[in-house]
Amino acid sequence: MNQDYLDPINALNMPEMADTTFAMDFLLRAKEGVRNAAIALTETTSPEARTLLRNQLRQGIAMHQEITDLMMRKKWFHPYELSEQYQLDQLSANNTVMIGQMNLFPGDTSRKGMFDRTPDEHMKGDQA
Amino acid sequence: MNKQSTLAPHESMELHEALNFKTLCLAKSKLMQGLVFDQELKDLMQKDVVQSTQAIAEIQALYAKAPFQTQVPQNRPTPILN
Repeated sequence: MNQDYLDPINALNMPEMADTTFAMDFLLRAKEGVRNAAIALTETTSPEARTLLRNQLRQGIAMHQEITDLMMRKKWFHPYELSEQYQLDQLSANNTVMIGQMNLFPGDTSRKGMFDRTPDEHMKGDQA
Repeated sequence: MNKQSTLAPHESMELHEALNFKTLCLAKSKLMQGLVFDQELKDLMQKDVVQSTQAIAEIQALYAKAPFQTQVPQNRPTPILN
């Protein structure tokens, strides 16, 4: 893989790398969700709030399980063979650093004028 | 356990955090479905979208009992792009 985003070499097994990254993000969010819910639960007193958070905690644990199982099945996550995981970690770090250095997005992205008025406002059309 | 009509301050902030977290989870799981290649991963993200939507509704209902609760405007009062 190299810095030239037009170079087809970068497309080689890019889908697997991308899916690994998206799944990892999904997994981290699920982990965060479980941890947040557990801590939040220990700060709530109202019965209603505790019931809500307890349910969301359980649901979060189940979703975390599902994501973990899927990732292991797809070989995107290796909790047992750590040398496999080591390779994945380093590989995706290198690739993502390279993507980070690419000049992918145009300079000005404010898209001014496209979202802050109705199309014919300047011609007083909007009061027609 | 007193039967208060409003929530205690600390738990209200927890609901503030929980609501924002779930909102972002929903946004991301929806957005990512446009990027992922693998169908099973996409389906699992869709499941997360459905669950997060439900969770948001539940949190919003309870969040309405926060002591600092107030009227929600139609949209953001001032445009963000100046």
